[in-house]
Amino acid sequence: MANLPSMTNGIDVERVDGIDVVTLLGEHDLSTATDVSRQIDLALESGSGLAIDLSQTTFIDSAVLRVLITAQERANEHGAGFAIAVADSSGHGVHRLLTLTGLDSRLSTQPSRAEAIAAAAFPTPR
Amino acid sequence: METVSERVEIEVAAAAPGVPLVRHALRGLLSGIDVDDDVIADIALAVTEACTNAVVHAYRDGRGTIQVTASHVDGALEVAVRDHGGGMSPRVDTPGLGVGLPVIAAIAESVEIGSPPDGGTEVRMHFALRSAAE
Repeated sequence: MANLPSMTNGIDVERVDGIDVVTLLGEHDLSTATDVSRQIDLALESGSGLAIDLSQTTFIDSAVLRVLITAQERANEHGAGFAIAVADSSGHGVHRLLTLTGLDSRLSTQPSRAEAIAAAAFPTPR
Repeated sequence: METVSERVEIEVAAAAPGVPLVRHALRGLLSGIDVDDDVIADIALAVTEACTNAVVHAYRDGRGTIQVTASHVDGALEVAVRDHGGGMSPRVDTPGLGVGLPVIAAIAESVEIGSPPDGGTEVRMHFALRSAAE
């Protein structure tokens, strides 16, 4: 089946300024939640701060949201810095889901990738 | 009498890969209708959550199908997500947050959840369509 443009997605993992950055590209839902979780788990093993970049994410569902919540909890448990970039460029559905669930105020979000990386440099106090 | 302008029916395996397929089929239907992009995104989210619920809860052995019907009716969108599983049984190991139905209810104008006579569960959602020009 030919890939529709909107079906293109991916997960990039890189290290930026000593911070592990997991970037979710395109759409992510139950079908990619396990892969997203695995990449986040690997990043958390380093003990460095973790930034999850949703600035190029066009869609997430509650399965992915659960992965993000778990990631924040684990980072907090280990005293690692953590932040999620939810930018103006993030898809409407990303903002909508966070608002509808009230998690926009519970998750450690930053309005840009750069600000999320900077915030993740500071360990979360235990 | 209702006027059905466009209609899409899709059946996918009740497994995670089927969820984005349904969403993209739905977007294909909506691409031919003058609808605000944010409304399309909202509908995509609600229908995704309904499909995910079916994948996660419908079939204990993980085998089965989900049937989704989307109809553009009298300027609104009716979407039905149907499975033939054992009903909405909870899972302690659910990969979700348990917010699927509240999200659907917040987005759809109305939502009905029923148990059809031949078994399974049907979630029927009604969405108002706001045009991009509004």
